[in-house]
Amino acid sequence: MPSLLIIVFILQLTIHSVNTFGVATINSLLWTLFNMLPVPTSKAAAEQNDLKSQFLELRKEMNATSSQDEFAKWAKLRRQHDKLLEQIEKTKSTLDSTKSTFDSVVNGLRWLGLNGVRMLLQFWFQKQPMFWLPKGWAPYYAEWLLSFPRAPVGSVSIQSWSIACMAIILLVSDALVSAVGLALAPKAPSKTAEPRKAPSEEKAARAEESRSQSEKKEL
Amino acid sequence: MSAAVVNADDELEPTLQSILDQKSLRWIFVGGKGGVGKTTTSCSLAIQLARVRRSVLLISTDPAHNLSDAFSQKFGKEERLVEGYTNLSAMEIDPNGSIQDLIGQADDGEGPAAAGGMMQDLAYAIPGIDEAMSFAEVLKQVKSLSYETIIFDTAPTGHTLRFLQFPTVLEKALAKISALSSQFGPMLNGILGANGGLPNGQSLPEMMEKLESLRETISEVNGQFKDEKMTTFVCVCIPEFLSLYETERMIQELANYNIDTHCIVVNQLLFPKAGSDCDQCNARRKMQKKYLGQIAELYDDFNVVKMPLLVEEVRGKDRLESFSEMLIKPYVPPVGGL
Repeated sequence: MPSLLIIVFILQLTIHSVNTFGVATINSLLWTLFNMLPVPTSKAAAEQNDLKSQFLELRKEMNATSSQDEFAKWAKLRRQHDKLLEQIEKTKSTLDSTKSTFDSVVNGLRWLGLNGVRMLLQFWFQKQPMFWLPKGWAPYYAEWLLSFPRAPVGSVSIQSWSIACMAIILLVSDALVSAVGLALAPKAPSKTAEPRKAPSEEKAARAEESRSQSEKKEL
Repeated sequence: MSAAVVNADDELEPTLQSILDQKSLRWIFVGGKGGVGKTTTSCSLAIQLARVRRSVLLISTDPAHNLSDAFSQKFGKEERLVEGYTNLSAMEIDPNGSIQDLIGQADDGEGPAAAGGMMQDLAYAIPGIDEAMSFAEVLKQVKSLSYETIIFDTAPTGHTLRFLQFPTVLEKALAKISALSSQFGPMLNGILGANGGLPNGQSLPEMMEKLESLRETISEVNGQFKDEKMTTFVCVCIPEFLSLYETERMIQELANYNIDTHCIVVNQLLFPKAGSDCDQCNARRKMQKKYLGQIAELYDDFNVVKMPLLVEEVRGKDRLESFSEMLIKPYVPPVGGL
């Protein structure tokens, strides 16, 4: 079994990435993947797509047909059009209800898999030290804070470790995002290059601050 | 049941004979766009039906009443025999006006009259309910009159469909109200006192009774309208784009309401004589021919009756009778025409 330190870190990373990409995106991605499996809904979804393309084609044809010169043809197209529209609406509503069930199940599972596991781990290993600090390395109150709430004094508790992981993940992801943003930004005149650095520094400072704040929150 | 008779030929017979033969028909609606000859057609159909049925009633629901005009005889809210017939009656109802009568009636009388004020409130509170209620009232009246066949000369298209929709809408609304009243009735009665008197000397149970009987009538009639053995809709149109468009729309909507329709009367056809030098007539004939072709293609499962445009106005008993013949025996256009 891999070290608990790594497990907690990976868990926090996953939570962060889910939050970054957005629940809706992930759900729709999962929905697409789910429909690739041979399940009844995938057939319905394919049918729906098929109907939609048929409908568009029919509509194009209907628009190309003059209702005055070829009334019979136009009216027949129109009947098909109405029928198809009704069908599409019907399948859409059933599909929508399936999708909302799917979404709620996925949401529940995701919550259990991430936050549930996190809570479970934090509860289960609350008395276990993650690692020991070198003796006399930090003052007593800092040791007490790091071992909060129930780990032995002088060690780092799983809660502190989780917070540290989260803080570092935030820091790195912010840094990455701003670095990518800088790289992708159009080349600015050299004059503005100097002050542009400032925000990233500022961000780092802010992250630092948030880290200390989050640790304070533990109190 | 001859409505189901399908000729061996591809085309169904171009007459309304199937309606005459279908003895089980109770309600016949005649509808179409304004000015295409609905009234003429319904009068003609009524004349033909009167020859083969025990009794026929012709009702105009068009606010612009034309029955009086067509028969050159005054008709009113009460049914009246058409002069020269013993089994053909006609009446004109105004879907907007008769709610006033209904309320007025209630106010004059005793007993159920108490519901009058409440009815009035109700009639103006729910949009469309006034028309629906007057319609229901007429249906109730008509039902008690025991005519064998009732022909409705309906108002132009939009109106017709709304009219036919009413029973469904009203039935739903009334079912809700009845359910509510049976649930809360006891409670309300507790508040209102032993005899359920409402503020203006009205009585709740009586009003509910009235609504309930209305609902029953409507649901019964509604069931009959959806029965193709008892009800059919005759579409009247002229071979022009807008009229055809409306007809198609109407036929689709009727199908949605499950109301049977299998007859189309194409009116006002021009048949210029051979060598006619009337430019307008010839041009029009060409256009009509185009649309007739479209009709034949689109409605191959309908009885399509072709009626010519006459040189005289179709008014009065004799002319209507001769016109009505053409509903049964197809008009033969002059030889050699376009």
